[in-house]
Amino acid sequence: MITDAEFELSRRSFLHRVMAATAGAGIAAVSPWAAVAAQASPAPGDRVRLGVIGTGDRGRALIRNILKTRNCTIAALCDSYAPHLAKGRALVDPKVRSFADHRAMIDAGGLDALVIATPLDRHAQQAFDGFDAGLHVWCEKAMARTIADCGAMVTRSRARRKVLQIGHQRMFHPTYLAARKRVQAGEIGAITQIRASWHRNNSWRRKVPADATDRQINWRLYRDSSAGLMTELATHQLQVGNWFLDEAPARVIGSGSICHWKDGREVYDHVALVYEYSGGRKFIYTSLLNNARYGCEEQIQGSKGTIEAELGRIYQEVPPKVLALQRMQQDVQRGHKRTVPIGGATWFPELPVTTPGESLGWGEYDETMLQFEGFGEAVRSGTPLPGLLAQAYDASVASLLGEQAMDRGEAVTWPTNLVAV
Amino acid sequence: MNHPPAETMIERFAAMGTRFEIHVFGGCDADAVPAARRAIEALDDALTTHRPSATADLNERLLAGRPALVRNALLWEALDAVDAAYVATGGLFDPAVEHGSWSCIRRDRAASRIEATQPAALDFGAFGKGFALDHAAAILKQAGVRSALLSAGESSITVLGEHPLGGGWPFAVPHPLDPGRSLIDLELTDEAMSISSTVGSPERAAMIRPQDGARIGERRTTIVIEPSGAEAEAMSTALLVAGPDSAAALLGSGRRYRFDLDRAAAPEPVEVAA
Repeated sequence: MITDAEFELSRRSFLHRVMAATAGAGIAAVSPWAAVAAQASPAPGDRVRLGVIGTGDRGRALIRNILKTRNCTIAALCDSYAPHLAKGRALVDPKVRSFADHRAMIDAGGLDALVIATPLDRHAQQAFDGFDAGLHVWCEKAMARTIADCGAMVTRSRARRKVLQIGHQRMFHPTYLAARKRVQAGEIGAITQIRASWHRNNSWRRKVPADATDRQINWRLYRDSSAGLMTELATHQLQVGNWFLDEAPARVIGSGSICHWKDGREVYDHVALVYEYSGGRKFIYTSLLNNARYGCEEQIQGSKGTIEAELGRIYQEVPPKVLALQRMQQDVQRGHKRTVPIGGATWFPELPVTTPGESLGWGEYDETMLQFEGFGEAVRSGTPLPGLLAQAYDASVASLLGEQAMDRGEAVTWPTNLVAV
Repeated sequence: MNHPPAETMIERFAAMGTRFEIHVFGGCDADAVPAARRAIEALDDALTTHRPSATADLNERLLAGRPALVRNALLWEALDAVDAAYVATGGLFDPAVEHGSWSCIRRDRAASRIEATQPAALDFGAFGKGFALDHAAAILKQAGVRSALLSAGESSITVLGEHPLGGGWPFAVPHPLDPGRSLIDLELTDEAMSISSTVGSPERAAMIRPQDGARIGERRTTIVIEPSGAEAEAMSTALLVAGPDSAAALLGSGRRYRFDLDRAAAPEPVEVAA
């Protein structure tokens, strides 16, 4: 069991790394949210009172992180499925109120903000209800089931002058922040391509208890409630793509299929897309559910190097050794002087490079905690963390646009009628 | 005889469209080798025509028939070296491409102004690699390095001082049509070698003689050893395109070699002069 002192040390170390990764000219402009969140010292005093809607697996992970923060507290829990609510209650003080309906929780009062971790199609309405009741909102990604609802969430938060923050944890991860800083410093050259994947080898289907329906438990597999791999997985990596390429895509083409799990699901189990950015740059994405060999990764490629962010590695484009010069080195070490053959035709094998690269530094601390400390300070000040909502909005739109491209079987251009964030 | 292992530092990286290697023997200030690499990369940034650079900007202006203001010191330094090489090779080394030639370039250093009397563009090519090795070698020398080998694409070699085990650095240049054989064996001490050839690489661009625009169809390899990499590169390129009389004049001094590989009937490549 970790002690309070150990926890505090770990927390300080985490914040130190975030601050190191966001210090310096230029980097604050591309990752402004993280610097503000890490530098904010949660003031002692009244904690921000959060009401959590949705206490399934993800909701409970959020609760554990909220409990680590210095400026937030869980004031109420809500879940329409009783077994999930019971599991959530087990994590918090017994005095925390619990509800089966989010409107009842809001009406009961005593909250500063909502935390929404429910199926995607419910995000927008629950956020609207929160804003209309004068509450700030932290919502899991993706933002909403439709592009229109994503925009409406932004508009409503503005109209009610409330903070809307979306949960993209990579934006607070020290490894990603360090990677973004090193890109800014030109270490891998100008990025021309990001190749990203999220490959799993499981059905993504959860066992349905006797007291629940398949749509309730496996909502990710139904089109009404989810865009499947696009909104549940790809949206994370699309955010990374937009962040590292410094803009939203201009166009997307794609192909999706139910290729392996022919079990009645409605969403694709294989997706392959190309998002086009200015200057011919590309974000190439695949996600599938029957092969885990290549796992989850974003390969960020420039002319001078590559970053594999999930692995936390940076690779320089080091050419293969000149064998004749390598032999000369060995000769010298052995005290032999031999003629060096040089100047002949050079052959470069074009196989994958397997050099280990250099570590970007690992974050052994869960960055979700920092998201909530940042949210807590945003709620206290009434000022959102800078730049964060624009990233989230673009990522959600990109994921839903990808779904449209696959469904229509044609290229879809970036909408011109989006809300300006 | 037993030798203690030599202290070495190796830097390996891609620049100027090729691979560079720097091998330093005998130890030196830890910053020296990275500084040498940075010098090469800085020249790459200044002289490249494949991405935005001072040279690319200059070319854009010259091709449009407009004067250019050039304030990049590295580019000016390279242009000075080009000018000297152009004179030394009797105009056979000419970095101007498209329609112009070096002779149509007018430079006004005081005004930082360069213009061309007809549309032209500059491509430093292999000369840039030799020039970059010169810069890197100067940094190593200033840091007290006494024995080092620098390679740009294995066709531009600069050595500092003697071989770590004493004496010259021994090299053998393979025959480009029969890599099992050596074209020549030679030793270098504190000097630079350039190897140029019209064969050996499928993507090699055709060599053009600047004076009359003649395409060099003959299969040739030239090897030149000079005090500096820039000089060696300019001279090996000039020798490759030179006609018989010009070649004879250039081969009359120094360690310069030209091999005519088309005399295939001959059992050995013909060394025109040495």
